[in-house]
Amino acid sequence: MVVQAKKRELKEAQKRKKQLEERCKLEESIGNAVLTWNNEILPNWETMCCSRKVRELWWQGIPPSVRGKVWSLAIGNELNITHELYDICLARAKEKWRSLSTGGAEVEGEDAGFSAADREASLELIKLDISRTFPNLCIFQQGGPYHDTLHSILGAYTCYRPDVGYVQGMSFIAAVLILNLDTADAFIAFSNLLNKPCQMAFFRVDHGLMLTYFAAFEVFFEENLPKLFAHFKKNNLTPDIYLIDWIFTLYSKSLPLDLACRVWDVFCRDGEEFLFRTALGILKLFEDILTKMDFIHIAQFLTKLPEDLPSEEFFTSIAAIQMQSRNKKWAQILAALQKDNREMEKGSPSLKR
Amino acid sequence: MGSAEEDYNFVFKVVLIGESGVGKTNLLSRFTRNEFNHDSRTTIGVEFSTRSILVGDAVVKAQIWDTAGLERYRAITSAYYRGAVGALVVFDITKHQTYDVVERWLKELYDHAEPSIVVMLVGNKTDLAQAREVPTEEARMFADNNGLLFVETSALDSTNVEQAFETILKEIFHKVQQQKQRNSQSNTVALASGSPDGAATAQEEKRPCCVAI
Repeated sequence: MVVQAKKRELKEAQKRKKQLEERCKLEESIGNAVLTWNNEILPNWETMCCSRKVRELWWQGIPPSVRGKVWSLAIGNELNITHELYDICLARAKEKWRSLSTGGAEVEGEDAGFSAADREASLELIKLDISRTFPNLCIFQQGGPYHDTLHSILGAYTCYRPDVGYVQGMSFIAAVLILNLDTADAFIAFSNLLNKPCQMAFFRVDHGLMLTYFAAFEVFFEENLPKLFAHFKKNNLTPDIYLIDWIFTLYSKSLPLDLACRVWDVFCRDGEEFLFRTALGILKLFEDILTKMDFIHIAQFLTKLPEDLPSEEFFTSIAAIQMQSRNKKWAQILAALQKDNREMEKGSPSLKR
Repeated sequence: MGSAEEDYNFVFKVVLIGESGVGKTNLLSRFTRNEFNHDSRTTIGVEFSTRSILVGDAVVKAQIWDTAGLERYRAITSAYYRGAVGALVVFDITKHQTYDVVERWLKELYDHAEPSIVVMLVGNKTDLAQAREVPTEEARMFADNNGLLFVETSALDSTNVEQAFETILKEIFHKVQQQKQRNSQSNTVALASGSPDGAATAQEEKRPCCVAI
């Protein structure tokens, strides 16, 4: 018995040692990656960002300490937003908040009255949503360290893009950026990110264009997972049921935060098609159980994913998804579908949805 | 699956609608899991929950679609009303604005749902009685005039939550029974009932896999 116990003890010790070694190895590799990003890649961004080596390192996940910088560079600043512009937008937002809270003396005719009510609703909504953004982290809630920052970025954005305003889902995106960037830089990344075609389509709730995105997604769904695709069709399970939440929040609400950030990493590298590839990766990962479920169970499962998603399997599953359908890439399929839509609308206005 | 929860005679699709922040998600979590969350997350798109209850001898499974309240989302969410046999239109008794727009929600609902849908007006957050902005009688009268069921609830302290869902499910059940009787005379039963796996009988309209009334 004693011998057995000793054996067990030895085995345990070996296991612990191995775990420790693995952790050290992991930390070392993260440490090395940080060095590579800081010393080699970031200083030579333009020339290196598209190289094979960098792309591979990128796929492994960007170390948290350089993540914000890489995201900023990859998202870019097509809109040429400066820190000053952020300050101006924020100042305007604050002025509006003040005038609304004191009853507002700025009514200029009926139009202005109406938009004031609209703005008020938008501001109310921002307030409401801030406390409902990552409530578990307890940092965005009233009194939390990032409450005001999140409020400021969302408020400034409604002044910067009054035509878009505040739309639910934005608070999650801004929050993830705040966790990785300084306020003004987070605002710049936020505005540029939302300006991308897919995000604009969703946040302006351009229903026709959203349906086109869903249709393109289904082309790759059928190509990659024909059996599951047929099962979903049979159950009348349309992609909007699960994609809306995933796309609006860029997975930050549905995946554990560390995984969501890794999805963001590659999304910054590959663009919108990676969002849809990720969706297919999730479906592939759970294909076996999903095929056995009926409509309501699938819908429940996909709108509330398991919290202990295994990260390596998850990314292996995404990697296995081919974003090519009959030699056509995502952008080509999407463009073809958009063209079809436009022609249909032109041809017979009655068919317009 | 295959659990007792799966043994049911009817599936009723019920939608939860109303302004953002009135407590739709908490009403649902109180009913299906007896949970309340002070900081529940914003609903984006739609979320789902189910719970089975006994009505008479029949097990009725409520398949509840909890939709996002944001006005801008309506283009998307209105598609979710299709096939619903019941709807809870929720407002917050402490925010008159959420009550003022109930009529718009109803219009939206009747534009997209079956005309026979059973609708209940729900004034939530009665635990905040000191901040009440919508008098009970006003809302009740509105409900009466518009042929809606009416109840006031508190998802926080559980008041009337069970009752709200039970009432609407029973009402739907009775409607279905009446329909069944009428149909049996004309020999065209369009009901997906009596099948434990639900899907087997509702072939063409499987998504809600419930009954059409």
